[in-house]
This record gives sequence, C-alpha cells and structure tokens, in this order.
Amino acid sequence: MTESLPKQNNNPLTAPFRFIEEQATVGVQLIGQVCLLFVKTLWYILRLDLDWRETFRQAYMIGWKSFWVVLITAIFTGFAMSLQISRELVGFGADTAIGGVVSLALIREIGPITAGVMVAGRVGSSIAAELTTMMVTEQIDALKVMRVDPVRFLVVPRYAAALVMIPTLSTYAMFVGLLAGIIIAKSAANLPPETFLDSVRQTILDRDFAVHYLKSAINATIIIFFSCAIGLNTRGGAEDVGIATTRAIVWTMTAIFIFNFIVTSLTYAPR
Amino acid sequence: MQENNADIKKRNIRDQEPILELRDVYKSFGDRQILKGVSFKVYAGEMLGLIGPSGCGKSTIFKIICGLLEPDSGEVILRSNDIGLVFQGSALLNSLSVRDNLALALERRKLSRKDEDEIIQQKLSLVGLGDYMQSFPTQLSGGQQKRTSFARAIVDDPKIILYDEPTTGLDPVMSTVIEDYMSELSNKLDAASIVVTHQHSTWTRTADRVILMYSGKIVWEGSAEQGMHSDNPYMKQFASASREGPMLAGVV
Ligand SMILES: Nc1ncnc2c1ncn2[C@@H]1O[C@H](COP(=O)(O)OP(=O)(O)OP(=O)(O)O)[C@@H](O)[C@H]1O
Ligand SMILES: [Mg+2]
Repeated sequence: MTESLPKQNNNPLTAPFRFIEEQATVGVQLIGQVCLLFVKTLWYILRLDLDWRETFRQAYMIGWKSFWVVLITAIFTGFAMSLQISRELVGFGADTAIGGVVSLALIREIGPITAGVMVAGRVGSSIAAELTTMMVTEQIDALKVMRVDPVRFLVVPRYAAALVMIPTLSTYAMFVGLLAGIIIAKSAANLPPETFLDSVRQTILDRDFAVHYLKSAINATIIIFFSCAIGLNTRGGAEDVGIATTRAIVWTMTAIFIFNFIVTSLTYAPR
Repeated sequence: MQENNADIKKRNIRDQEPILELRDVYKSFGDRQILKGVSFKVYAGEMLGLIGPSGCGKSTIFKIICGLLEPDSGEVILRSNDIGLVFQGSALLNSLSVRDNLALALERRKLSRKDEDEIIQQKLSLVGLGDYMQSFPTQLSGGQQKRTSFARAIVDDPKIILYDEPTTGLDPVMSTVIEDYMSELSNKLDAASIVVTHQHSTWTRTADRVILMYSGKIVWEGSAEQGMHSDNPYMKQFASASREGPMLAGVV
C-alpha cells in the first residue's frame, strides 16, 4: 500500500511546507514544556516551598544587575517620547496635555515593554545559557541522581525572584522615563514641571498602575519559563549553548510583544 | 585449591538476593545500537569491575541504572534507591561551593548545619580536600574536581555505588588511596558497587569480579586474577593491550 505513494522526501516543492511543519512541531513542543514547567513551579510557590537563600541571590542577579541598563534605556526612551509629543502638542497649542500623554504612553506601553525587553536580553539569555551549560556538563543529571528536583532547585527561585524584581524594574523604568520627560518638556517646550505633573495627575488612573503591574508580571513569567524550558530541554555540546541562548531571546521577545498587545486589547479597547 | 577469606565471603554473598540486576538490556542512540542484551547481578558487599573499549556503553549502563536514560527493552531491578554516582566528567554544580555540592546529597536527611559540616569535613578529608570546603569547583584542578565528585557520591553512605573512572587523572598515590577507600566502603556499607575504569590497577586491586564488554555484549566474566591469565581471545587481548586479536581499535 505505502509503496504506491510517491516518495516526498526530497521534493523541492514540498520542502518549504516541511520546514514550516518542523518549526511548528518544535514550537508546539516548546509551548507544552513551558506550560508544564509553569504548573510545576506554581505548585512549589503556592506551598511556599522555596529555597530562600537562592531566591535572594537570584533577586540580586535579576534586579541589581539590570539596574543600569534599564536606567539608561528608560532615560532615552523618556527623552525621545517627550520630544516628539511636546513638538506635536505645542503645534496644537495643547502644552498642558503633554504630561498626560507622555505618562500614558510610559505607564501603559513603553515602561513594561522597555523593561521587559531589556531584562529578557540580560536575564533570559543568561538563564538559558546557564541551564544549557548545566545540561551539557551533566550538572542536571547530578541533581537528579541526588534526588534534588531541578525545577525546585533552579526554576522556582528564579521565578519567585523575577516576580518581585521585574515589576520593580518596570515601575522604576516608568518613573525614570517620566523624569526624563519632564526635563525635555521643560527645555524643549519650556513647560513648567508643575504643569506637566498636573496633567499626569489628571490623566493617570489607578487602573493604569494595575495594568502596568499585570504586564510586567506576565513579562516575568514569559522570560523565566521560556528560558528555563529551553535550557532544561537542550542536549548536546558547547555549541548548543549559543543556539539555546538565541532561541530563548527570540521566543521571549516575541511572546512579550504578543502578550502586551493581548493585555492592552483586553483592558483598553474602545467601547 | 585453597579457599581464602574472600572466596568464603563471596560464596555467602551469592546466597542472598542481588541488590542490583540488569536483565537483557538493549539501548540504541538513533540507529546505532550500543547495548545488545546486557545482563548481570551485583550483590551486597561486592565490587564489580566493568571494563571494555572506549565508547562501548559503560557510562550508558550507569545512566540506565540511575534512571537518567530509559532502556529500549530489558529490565533494571534495584533493591535500593540510595545510589551514589561518580560522574566521569565530575558534574559538580558550578554555582555552589564544594561544601554545598556535598550538602545537596545530604539534603533529604534534614540534618543540622553542624552535623552536616561534620560529615562533609570528614569525607573531604578522606580524599585530601579538607581545606577546600569553601572553594568553588572552577577553582579546583581536574583531579581535585574528580575527588570532590567522589566525596559527593559517597557522602550519604549509599547502598549502590557507581564509580565512572574514579581514578582517571589522579596521581598514583592518590589513586591507591581512592582504591583502598572504595574497597573499604563496599565492606563497611555492604554496598553493591560497580567500577568502570581504564586504569589497570583500579580494577585489579578493587574488583571482586570483572566483566568485559565488547560490541554491546558481555564477552568475558571472571575474577581479576583469572582475567590476567585468561585464554579468552577478547580478555587476552584487552589484558595485554595488544593490537592482535578480535577487538578492532575504534570499533565498539
Ligand atoms: N546522548 C547520546 N546521544 C547519542 N549517542 C550517545 C549518547 N550518549 C552516548 N552515546 C554513544 O553511545 C556510545 C557509548 O557511550 P558511553 O559514554 O556509554 O561509552 P563509554 O563506554 O563510557 O566510553 P568511555 O570509556 O570513553 O567513557 C558512544 O558511541 C556514544 O557516542
Ligand atoms: Mg564513559
């Protein structure tokens, strides 16, 4: 029966479809691994079964070591946005709205995205590299032989730390960006800081902070679970560490942008 | 022939059930078949020497015993879950100090920090690393890492001990220390041990029984003493490190 079917293996016409199929299979597999890891980790966290010392160490690695990159990106994002918005609104004679528009953009979109992307680049990639190295040098096997659950030992402390530190970084990015915005509005549009802040106060609602927190918690989840799932499922040699790192960054950043849009559309869609 | 103490011990051992048994284990990686029906038993207090050419699947057998790999078919029967494995490549956790690497193996016992330190200090001193509690693996030499890995495998007094090249990369004196300690442990803990090694002194000095693997199967079994004078073409070639014989260099 099967012999009568044409051999498809090296047909150049079907090659692109085979490629897509392979990629899709790998993607579905990865998403499955991410979900499984998430459920397992949550189970430990809900029981507060945490290695506190390791959690604090990770909080330091994730938080403090991203402090400067987030600071610098937030300043320049704040500068650029405030400059654009001031220019346009001054043209309409709407100077007093500058603060509101800048802060809306920063709190709702740019703050979480900037912090998320920077932390994904710094933290996600290093987690993927570290765990893949541990896989290929049999450190994970050693844990299993000692009957230490790699999820409890490696993933849980990283997630607990990220869940606190990434929203903190995000909030910090937001304030730094706002400050940068005030400075530019003053120097480029000669807008007094008080006017800027008044406008912020009139525009920003509590809900904006809640959504901001939600977005950055989702970012933390994406960053930790994609990089851990990729790290813990890579086998092979040293060259696979580089491949895994790249893969982690690509998946994490893509997922951050997609989920950011999903949250925005669920919370801010015009009614 | 005169029966010595070791023979009496061994005969008594055989009256009990084996601690560890492999029955007709097969394993392939891709289309390359590595294990083609491996069976053996290891009894309490016994040290089995597992030798064979590089790449014949010795480390793979260890991974199957530890449950890190699934056999394609066949059975692994363990009468204890307390397994210590000395990894061929040390496999120390780089983010932890030497002390914490050993502490990880003790974690399940929930000891006080003081008791833990005492045990760790004692085991590290045994392998000559008493002063290295706070060092990190990357600050150790290859041989020191190997010894740390050895100490970590045996720190919790396991019932099954698997040594993958425990003396490779060690100087002759340290090799002897480790070999003696391996023999002592298997008696003291009544553990079932397997040692994989390419080092002649290690299997001749420690193993009660030796099996030689080639091409995915066991091709010879006997005592180390018998192995040295065996007429079996495989064992003869292996023991004399000769190019002449049924084993082809590089073919496993
Ligand atoms: N994860 C794996 N994927 C594919 N092939 C593997 C894998 N692990 C081992 N192999 C192959 O299985 C064979 C046996 O490997 P193993 O490490 O068990 O050899 P060994 O007998 O311990 O050799 P050595 O004495 O050099 O340590 C080798 O040919 C190796 O290429
Ligand atoms: Mg090996």
